[in-house]
Amino acid sequence: MSEALLEVEKLSAGYGDARVLDDVSFRLDQGGSLALLGRNGMGKTTLLTSLIGLTRRHGGRIRLAGRDLTAVPTHRRALAGLGWVPQERDIFPSLTVEENLTAIATGGAWTLDRVYDLFPRLMERRSNMGNQLSGGEQQMLAIARALMLDPKVLLLDEPMEGLAPLIVQELFRIIQRMIERDGLAVILVEQHAHQILPLTRDAMILERGRVVYSGDSRRLIDEPALLDRWLGVGAVELDDGTSA
Amino acid sequence: MKAIDIIRNEHRALAAVLRALEATIADLRDGRRPPDFRLLAAMIDYIVRVPEEVHHPKEDGVFFPHIRAACPDAVPIIDELEHQHHRGREHVLQLAMSLIHFQAVGAAAQESFCAAAERYVAFSWTHIEMEERQLLPLLSDRLAPAAWAEIDAAFAANADPWRGTADEFERLFSRITALVPAPLGLGDRRSGLASRIT
Repeated sequence: MSEALLEVEKLSAGYGDARVLDDVSFRLDQGGSLALLGRNGMGKTTLLTSLIGLTRRHGGRIRLAGRDLTAVPTHRRALAGLGWVPQERDIFPSLTVEENLTAIATGGAWTLDRVYDLFPRLMERRSNMGNQLSGGEQQMLAIARALMLDPKVLLLDEPMEGLAPLIVQELFRIIQRMIERDGLAVILVEQHAHQILPLTRDAMILERGRVVYSGDSRRLIDEPALLDRWLGVGAVELDDGTSA
Repeated sequence: MKAIDIIRNEHRALAAVLRALEATIADLRDGRRPPDFRLLAAMIDYIVRVPEEVHHPKEDGVFFPHIRAACPDAVPIIDELEHQHHRGREHVLQLAMSLIHFQAVGAAAQESFCAAAERYVAFSWTHIEMEERQLLPLLSDRLAPAAWAEIDAAFAANADPWRGTADEFERLFSRITALVPAPLGLGDRRSGLASRIT
């Protein structure tokens, strides 16, 4: 087996003495894509924040591109290649779109032009301040900012949360392009399971902080009973944030 | 991506534009905003051309014939869906003419356009719902893996059909998203829709 791009081994983590994650192990290969699923409160966000070092680790190991990140502080994990897009978006409201992007640019493969090619809307709005953007534009800017750090793995935490169906579809296609055209490794926490599973190669389901499914995304699509069992969403067909 | 994923993706994209059109019509009727003909034309272009040029031809030419052969109890559903595909063309002409009329004569033709758009949207929902709720769930256990493989191959040969020629429909979708005012889209909320997500 080739060396994994990201390898998580027996990770246990949480807040203070409370363990939220218990013995979580998985690997993500170069160009891989992982849908991270589970009901609310099952540890999905905690897993992403643990990868970037914002929780208390009780045990386990994290390796990225062969480098052990387990004891590396958060800001160095970002520079090492873990790009994080939090639910809160965290853009700078008093900087323009372009300043938000260039302030953190690392001079890597993701240049301003390349990011604008992926998000033409941000180029149109490049002179607008962060606080003048709509929710959908802020989400695009949050993803674009993470790309400017030239990540090896992009961690997206419910990027569609609270957005209208048109914007959700637009963002899904942008994420599809990042995975298929740009070959970016992505871990995606998302409630729209039926929509994201065809895009990601692998899927993992967390139940009370433990991995209860780890394998092909395709299997979860083809066997709706599995999704029903862990997510209770097997009956959802037109999963666009609306109902037909 | 497999054929059934592509069909569902196309439904989701259409559903998103249909929702935005419903909200646009409601705002026109309520007098909350003046008509934005660039947006109306883009939305109608999408909801008419994606089904007629991309979605239905794949279903009629590849998907439905396999289902007819392999799944006799789905035949009445297929008959109705094909009938709807045929009837959809009448609605399309009516809708296109009503938009041209609205643009030409202004407010006097607004109501007839809104009514035509609502009829088309209702017709589209009925059609999508029939496929999603009646046909697709029936097929998961009925079609043999060999039939699915043949359908998937035919869809795969059609590249990524919902992007259309040279990504035309993808660009059209992005344009609609950019024009529809926030929060439903990314457009300027001052010239756009009221906050309405139903």
